[in-house]
Amino acid sequence: MSKMLTTTGEQPFYFPQGLAGFTSAHQFGFIYEGVGDLVCMQSIDQIEAAFILTPWDEERLGKPPEVSQEYLSCVHASQEPLAHDEDMLWMLVLNPFADASWVTANLRAPILLNMQARRGVQCIQHNHKLPLRYHWMRHPQQTAVAAASA
Amino acid sequence: MMVLRRKVGDVICIGDDVRIVIQEVHPGQGVRIAIDAPIDVPVHRLEIYRLIQQENQAACHAHALQWLQGGMHVEDVNNDG
Repeated sequence: MSKMLTTTGEQPFYFPQGLAGFTSAHQFGFIYEGVGDLVCMQSIDQIEAAFILTPWDEERLGKPPEVSQEYLSCVHASQEPLAHDEDMLWMLVLNPFADASWVTANLRAPILLNMQARRGVQCIQHNHKLPLRYHWMRHPQQTAVAAASA
Repeated sequence: MMVLRRKVGDVICIGDDVRIVIQEVHPGQGVRIAIDAPIDVPVHRLEIYRLIQQENQAACHAHALQWLQGGMHVEDVNNDG
């Protein structure tokens, strides 16, 4: 990963708004298992809220979305230095469970993390063209099977 | 559900911290409102918020870490109930 996320044992991230559908989940820890750019983000206060995340890929997707002042306030950031702020990290929520072949990425609601302030927010975009289930990568199990049979 | 009649410029409060201001009314087209809420209160159009709620719930799984570790297949999750 281009920027290292805090993993188990360190101070969790605080999400003031929780996540849509999980508004009671405010504290999240990150666990990196050494699998590519994938991390598990798990709630500490709502333990069943666990997600697979990956960093926003500018080469594939272009620049991350612009964010409102409200979202920036959530992560204790200001608009002006955001583009250059090394403390900011954009992540995508992956869905490994919706499609048998593909792990999908939700481009409508990426997650913005302030790694210095240890705060996060899911930035819901109103652009209808952004896909909820963008084909991000093939399932790792399928990739392994394909490699073995090649 | 509470129903209120308000004019342009009027304010509705929800609890101590949320204020809704009626800014413009365009008959037959819609109403423009401004909402002032604490940062821990998400404010969205319902149809968009519902989409994200549903997708988050579909992407969320208590065994996400197990999937990441390679011990769980999509079929296992779908059979998990």
